[in-house]
Amino acid sequence: MDSFIKAENFTKIAPYGSLFWQGMVVTVMLSIFTVAIGFVLALILSSMRMSRFYPLAFLGLDKDGHQKEKGALVAVSKFNPLSFIATAYVEILRSTPVIVQVAIIYYGVFGSIITLPSFTFLGFIKFERFFPGVVALGMNSGAYLCEIMRSGIQSIDDGQSEAARSLGMSQFQNMRYIILPQAIKNILPAIANEFVVIIKESAITYTIGVQDIMSAVNAVRGATFIIIEPLLVATAIYFCLCFPTSKLIAYFERRMSRGDKR
Amino acid sequence: METRDKLIQVIDLEKHYNGGAIKALDGITVDIDKGDVMVVIGPSGSGKSTFLRSLNLLEEPTGGAIIFDDVDITRKKYKDENGKWIKVNVDIHRQKMGMVFQHFNLFPHMTIMENMILAPVKVKKLPEEDARKKAIELLKRVGLEDRADAYPIQLSGGQKQRIAIVRALMMEPEVMLFDEPTSALDPEMVGEVLDVMKQLASEGMTMVVVTHEMGFAKEVGNRVLFMADGKLLEQGTPAEVFEHPKHPRLQEFFSKVL
Repeated sequence: MDSFIKAENFTKIAPYGSLFWQGMVVTVMLSIFTVAIGFVLALILSSMRMSRFYPLAFLGLDKDGHQKEKGALVAVSKFNPLSFIATAYVEILRSTPVIVQVAIIYYGVFGSIITLPSFTFLGFIKFERFFPGVVALGMNSGAYLCEIMRSGIQSIDDGQSEAARSLGMSQFQNMRYIILPQAIKNILPAIANEFVVIIKESAITYTIGVQDIMSAVNAVRGATFIIIEPLLVATAIYFCLCFPTSKLIAYFERRMSRGDKR
Repeated sequence: METRDKLIQVIDLEKHYNGGAIKALDGITVDIDKGDVMVVIGPSGSGKSTFLRSLNLLEEPTGGAIIFDDVDITRKKYKDENGKWIKVNVDIHRQKMGMVFQHFNLFPHMTIMENMILAPVKVKKLPEEDARKKAIELLKRVGLEDRADAYPIQLSGGQKQRIAIVRALMMEPEVMLFDEPTSALDPEMVGEVLDVMKQLASEGMTMVVVTHEMGFAKEVGNRVLFMADGKLLEQGTPAEVFEHPKHPRLQEFFSKVL
């Protein structure tokens, strides 16, 4: 009976080792840039979602400068366009598949509207395929990270804000010194999870020709007709990337939990 | 009565929810004078906490006025004598009003010392050295100077509340607001917190205290307010209110709690 995994197959795919190496570099680069874009985007989006920007607030005030109690104008005065835009963005990005988003960004935005220069960097990364992949993944993870940040901030007891504000701190000082330090600690596990998801999800960019780990698997399969063993190599590489990432964040989590123990 | 020095004037204060369907505060008018120790009592849901929280705008009143430093702080903006619109800066008014909460609300990620010096250093721009000295002094007053480097979770409830009081005092407020400061404490710790408050009152601090401690109201308060259903039903000196309650709701309340 044929065994499921054959040792000699590993020797057969060994000459393609550099493909896996290049694929791993691409995956790591994809993940780093995606996290960077996603993080910045999430900061902007979550502050938009939680902003208190009411450009029409004056419609809800009576002639003494007091807030009116009811009427259609009160609802209009509470309209926050920043929050509306950010919420719409998050809901759309969360409710559509990443594979579709990647395709739309690659074939739609960078295929017809914007033309990217065609060159390779680090020797083997094709910019015109890599860049749309990073943009699409970054936009997607920005939506998720935004929700993580928002939930983290809103998980802090209102009493903390009340205490800070009653000491005369501004909304910004309250965020900077009281809310964010506590919120970041609370959301670290969720952030770790999202980072790991990004590393794994970056595999989807092989559909637009980014030569990451999955693309190496397919190249080897095409050349040697061996399937299982390349997949196992890919599995091992992904694990070696993801596991240390979550361990590293767990370390920061422990370091930040002073004040939790008696 | 002209000799009394008005600090906060509350005029017909209202807090309505659902467009007036629920009236948490229904026309409260009262003056808080310098040196007053005003104790607010009443059944739960009477609006006494809402009243207290309205004073520093943690709750936004829907009507009436709170005059503090000649400014109606319930308005978002007002016209000065030249007819210019000026925005009301709530942060500045809050600096002059210390607040103590039922659940202490110490900042758990900071040591006691950091808790105390944060606002003076960041808001009042007090040099950190001076703030530390002042914090040590205040900690000595409440007998907790050896806990300066502890985290809040390492303290008992009574200790936390004493820290919360001196943290508010660090800003040198003109008035201290206490929102049921002993309600979340184990019975044996109530005394130590009340002692700090008594000491504060004897030093002439203006205080507004929402509490269920009738003993404290009698002994330390110079004015007692009774609230029910968002209305101010009776007020007077502790002797008047406790010995000769006039309003039937107050008589009923005392029959339950005394």
